[in-house]
Amino acid sequence: MRKRLDVLICTGANCLSSRSLEFKKKLEEELERRQLQEEVNIVGTGCMGPCQLGPVMIVYPEGSFYVKLKDEDIPQIVEEHFLKGRPVKRLLWTAPEAAKIVEEKKKIPFFEKQEKVVLKNCGRIDPENIEEYIAYGGYEALAKVMSEMTPEKVIEELIKSKLVGRGGAGFPTGLKWKFTREAKGDEKYVVCNADEGDPGAFKDRAILEGDPHAVIEGMIIAGYTIGAHNGYIYIRAEYPLAIKRLEIALEQARKYGLLGKNILETGFNFDIELRMGAGAFVAGEETALLSSIEGKRGMPRFKPPYPAQKGVWGKPTLINNVETLANIRHIILNGGEWFASIGTENSKGTKLFALSGKVNNTGLIEVPFGLTLGEVIFDIGGGIPKGKKFKAIQMGGPSGGYITSEFLNLPVDYKEIEKTGSIIGSAGMIVLDEDNCMVNMAKFFVEFTMSESCGQCTPCRVGLKQMYGILDRITNGQGTLDDLTLLEKLGKQIKSSSMCGLGQTAPNPVLTGLKYFPEEFLEHVLYKKCRAGVCASLFYAPCTNACPAGVDVPRYLAHMTEGGLKEAFLVHMENNPFPSVCARVCPAFCERPCERGKFDEPIAIREVKRLFADWAMENDVEFNPPLELRKEKVAIVGAGPAGLSCAYFLTRLGYRPVVFESLPVPGGMMRVGIPDYRLPKDVLNEEIARIVESGVELRLNSPVSSLQELKEMGFDAVFISVGAHRSEKLNVKGEELEGVTGGIDFLREVNLGKKMDLKGKRVAVVGGGSTAMDAARTALRLKASEVSVIYRRSREEMPAQAAEVEEAIEEGIKFYFLTNPVEFAGSTRVEKIKCVQMEFQGFDKSGRRRPVPKEGTEFEIETDFVLLCLGQRPELSGFAEELETNKDGTIKVDKDTLETSLTGVFAGGDAVLGPATVVEAVGQGRKAALSIDRYLGYEGKFPFPRREVVETSFNEEEYLKVIPRKTPALEMVEERIKSFIEVNKGILLQEALEESKRCLKCDRGKEVVSEKLEKEKVRIPLGG
Amino acid sequence: MKLEELRKIRERVQQELSLREGKARIKIIIGMGTSGIAAGARETLRAFLSEIENRNLTDVLVTQTGEKGLASQEPVVIVEESGKPGIVYGMVTPEVAKRIVAEHIVNGVVVSEYVIQVED
Repeated sequence: MRKRLDVLICTGANCLSSRSLEFKKKLEEELERRQLQEEVNIVGTGCMGPCQLGPVMIVYPEGSFYVKLKDEDIPQIVEEHFLKGRPVKRLLWTAPEAAKIVEEKKKIPFFEKQEKVVLKNCGRIDPENIEEYIAYGGYEALAKVMSEMTPEKVIEELIKSKLVGRGGAGFPTGLKWKFTREAKGDEKYVVCNADEGDPGAFKDRAILEGDPHAVIEGMIIAGYTIGAHNGYIYIRAEYPLAIKRLEIALEQARKYGLLGKNILETGFNFDIELRMGAGAFVAGEETALLSSIEGKRGMPRFKPPYPAQKGVWGKPTLINNVETLANIRHIILNGGEWFASIGTENSKGTKLFALSGKVNNTGLIEVPFGLTLGEVIFDIGGGIPKGKKFKAIQMGGPSGGYITSEFLNLPVDYKEIEKTGSIIGSAGMIVLDEDNCMVNMAKFFVEFTMSESCGQCTPCRVGLKQMYGILDRITNGQGTLDDLTLLEKLGKQIKSSSMCGLGQTAPNPVLTGLKYFPEEFLEHVLYKKCRAGVCASLFYAPCTNACPAGVDVPRYLAHMTEGGLKEAFLVHMENNPFPSVCARVCPAFCERPCERGKFDEPIAIREVKRLFADWAMENDVEFNPPLELRKEKVAIVGAGPAGLSCAYFLTRLGYRPVVFESLPVPGGMMRVGIPDYRLPKDVLNEEIARIVESGVELRLNSPVSSLQELKEMGFDAVFISVGAHRSEKLNVKGEELEGVTGGIDFLREVNLGKKMDLKGKRVAVVGGGSTAMDAARTALRLKASEVSVIYRRSREEMPAQAAEVEEAIEEGIKFYFLTNPVEFAGSTRVEKIKCVQMEFQGFDKSGRRRPVPKEGTEFEIETDFVLLCLGQRPELSGFAEELETNKDGTIKVDKDTLETSLTGVFAGGDAVLGPATVVEAVGQGRKAALSIDRYLGYEGKFPFPRREVVETSFNEEEYLKVIPRKTPALEMVEERIKSFIEVNKGILLQEALEESKRCLKCDRGKEVVSEKLEKEKVRIPLGG
Repeated sequence: MKLEELRKIRERVQQELSLREGKARIKIIIGMGTSGIAAGARETLRAFLSEIENRNLTDVLVTQTGEKGLASQEPVVIVEESGKPGIVYGMVTPEVAKRIVAEHIVNGVVVSEYVIQVED
C-alpha cells in the first residue's frame, strides 16, 4: 500500500550532532504506538540545510519544513499533522523575506494612489450573492431614502454633491433628476445606459460584472425620486458575463423583496427589464438608445425635446450611465457634501478610468479628481514598458483627442482636459508610445466612426467617408499638402453640422492629431515617411526607417546569412561610410523598433555589422576616386563624421571636395571625444584613410576664419560641419576654480596625446550622457583613486547607453543618482562639491520627471577634479556674424536642403543638431551632398545600383522559435581598467552569420512608395 | 421584506464573512470578471478546487468576485485569513495556485514572488 505521507529527516552531519537520529527513532516509536507506521514513510536523508536550525524535517506532499525539533514536539506533530492534516505552525520555518515583501507591497503606487468608492465591492464580494452586497451596506441607501427622505431631499443631496453624468456628456445629475421629476405625466421611466461602445472603455463592464446591485439600487432610488415604476437597463450584447450577472442580481433582488412589487413593504413598485443592444455603437447615444428600446432602428433624433420631457414611448425618461447610478448610494449614505469634498473645484467625487495601451499596469482604476495625468500614467500605470518613450494619451475614445507630454502636470478634471482639446468622455485612456503613428491612429478612429455612422445626416455619412479616404491615401504615401488643409476643413464642417454626438465628435482624433503632431502628417505627405514605422508602404523595414542615415539593414543582414561580407559592406557604404566606427559606438536606433524584439529579442545589428566592417578594413576594400569629374569645387569645414561623410558622398557624385580641419588630426568628436577603449584610433584612422583615398583632399592644421576666405579660394559651395565642442556651463559658484573643467575638454586633451597621471586623485563627473561615461572611465584608466558620477535624475533616465553605464558600474565607478551640485568650494583649487539630493515632482515639457532639490539633504563630496559633462554647443567664431543661428548657438538651416541663411552655404552635424550622434551626423552629411548637387544644378542622385532582393538559401523556419540574441564578449574588468584596451571584443563570425538568420525580413516583397515615385521621375524633397 | 429584516441579514452575513465563527479559517477569492476569465481564471479556480480536494482541506472556502482592476496581472486571487492582512496575488496560473495551497494555505508561508498587494 502506498504510504500517505513521506517524512524526510535530515541525518546529515550537523543534524546528527543535534541528535536527529534519536529524534527519528522516537518518531518511529510514536508512529507504532498510534498504528500509523503503514501510512507514514520515514526516511533519513543527507544534509538539507539550513544547518543551524537542525534537527530538520520535511513532510510531503505539502513540503512542510520543520526546524529546531525536540523530542517533546513529537506527540503534537503526529496528532495534529499526521492524523488531522494540520501542520504545527510554530515549528515551521517562516521565510524571513515574506514579512519584508508584505511591508513593501503595501505601498505599490498602483493601488496606493487610487481611492475606491464605486469600485470598493469589485474584488471584495461575490457579485452573484446578494447577501454579500447587503453585508457591506447594500440597499441601506434605498432603505434610508424610502424611510427618511422625500424625493425633493434626494434631489437636493444630488445637487449639493455636484455629481455630473459619467457617460461622457457630464450633465449635472441632480438637475436631470429634477427635470424628470417635474415633467408632467404619471408614466415615467428610468433607463440605464450600459451600451459602453468606445474602443478602450471598459469601466461600466467592470461595475456590472463585479457589483451589479449598486446599479440596481441606484435605479430604484431614481424611480422613487422621479415617480417612475419601470426601468430598463440597455446593455450591449457583447457583454455576456455582465448580462448573466445582472439577470442573477435582478432575480435575487426580486426574491428578497427589494425589486418588483411592494419594495421593502412600503407599497412602492418598481421593476427593471433588461434590453440587449445588437452591436450598434451609435445606440450609446441616448435618443438612439431609446429608439432601440422601442424596437425601432437605433437612430438618433433631434433634441429638444429632451428625454426628460419625451423619452421612451414618448414618456418622461431619466437616462443615466452605469457609473453615475453606481455613485448614487454613496451620496445618499454619506451626504452630498461629502461627495463634493472630494475632487477639484469643477469636478467632484472620484472617477473610473480604463487604462490600456503602452503602459505597464493596464486595468481599471478609480482616482479622485485632481490627481495629475502624470501620476496616473507613471505612478499608477507604472510607466511605459520596454523603456520606450511616451508619446500621448488618447483620451475619450473616438470622440476624444490626445494629451501630450506637456500636459502631464494637468490635474484630471473636466475643464482642464477640455482646455487641451480632448474630453474625458467614456474615460478610456489609451497610452501611446514612439511606435504609434498618429496618422494611422487618426485613420483607425475615423474608420470606426465611419462604419458606425447611422447614415441619417449627410455630414457624418458622407463626410466621414471622405475623411477616411484622404487618411487612407496619406498612409499609403499618396497624400498632398492640400489633403491636410481639406482634412481640417472637412473636420470642422462635420463637427458643426452633424445631428448627433457621433458625428459631432468623430473628427476630434484627426483635428487634435493635426494640432499636436503636425510633423507626422507633414512627413507622410511631403517626404513619404512614417517615423513610427507603422505605415508599411512607406518604408522597407522599421530598422532602416529608424536609422538617421537610412542604412539598408535587412539587405546586408540577408547578405550575411549567405556569408557575403563584401556585399554586406558595400550595401552599408551606400548610406554610411563609417561601419567600423558605428559598429562600436552607435546607439543603434535600428535595434529599437526591430520587429523581432516583439517576439524574443531585437537582432544584434550593431554586432553583426562589426564583422563585415572589420573584414573590409583588413582586406583593404577601396573606393576609387571619381572618373567623370564635376567641375564645381566644394569646401567642407570640419573633418568630423558629418564633414567626412559629406566629402565621401560628394566623391560618389563626381566631386573632389576639400576638407579643412583646424586640429592636427581628423575625425572630430570620433577622435577627440570618444576614448580608445570604445573606439581604437587605428580603426578610426583606417576608415578615414579609405574616405581620403576615395578622392578627398584633407588639409589638417587648417582652420578657416571666414566664409569670404573660401569664396576667394574659388569654392562654389560650402558645407560647415564644425561640430559642437564648447562645454556648457553649470553656472554655480566656484565654477572658475582650478580643477573644474569641461568633460569634453578633458577628453580632447587626453585623446590628443597629453600625458596625464591622476594617481591618487579623486575625480567627480557631473552629467549622465555618453560624455560623462567616457570622462569617468577615462579618468579611471588614468589611475584616479576614486571616480564618481553625479547625476540629477535616476539611473533609468540617463541618456548614456545602458551598456556603458553597466560597464562603468562594473569598473567600480561610484554613482550618486538624484544628486545635484550647488557649489564648488575650495581656496584656489576645488576641494569639495556641495551637493543636494533631488526628488521627483511632476514632469517637464518633454515628459520626463522633474527633479527638484529635497530640503535639508545637503551633503559634501571631497574631490580634486570636477569634469562637467552637461552638453556642448558649437563654437562658430569667424562664422558667427555671418550665419543665422538659433538660441542655443546651433546654425539655422532649411530643413529640406540644409542650406543656411547664406546661399550656397550648407551645414550639418552637431553644429546644426546640437550634441547628437555619429550616425545622425553621417545622415546629414549624405543629405548635404545630395542637396549641394541639386544646388549646383545637377540631379542629386547617387549612381548606386537599384535595390535588389537578396535571395537566401537557409531554412527560415528553423529560426522561428525563441533564440536569444548574441551578446559580445567583454574584456575582464580587472584587466581593462589598467589601460585603454578595447573593452568590447565583439561576437564571432559564426555567431554573426547565425544572428543574421534571426532577421524576419520585414522588407520582403515590398516596393516602397518613394521608390515608385522615383521610377516615375517624381522628385521628393530630401527633408525628414 | 421589512427594513429590520434587511438589517438582520446584514449582521448575519457580516459575521459569516469575518471568519470568526470558524466556518472557514481561510478564504480564497478569485477575480472572475471578463479580464480574469480571459486570462484563465476558470482554470485557476479548477486548480484550487482540485488541490483542496486532494489534500482534504475542510476549513478553506473558495469564492469568486469581480475585477480588482489590475488587468495586466490577471488572474488575480485574494487570500483572506482572520487576524492577518489580506494577500493579493497576481498572475496566478494553475501551477501557482497549487503552490499557494501548499505553501500559503497549508504552511502559512506567503508566496512572495507573486504578491502584488497587501491589504490591511
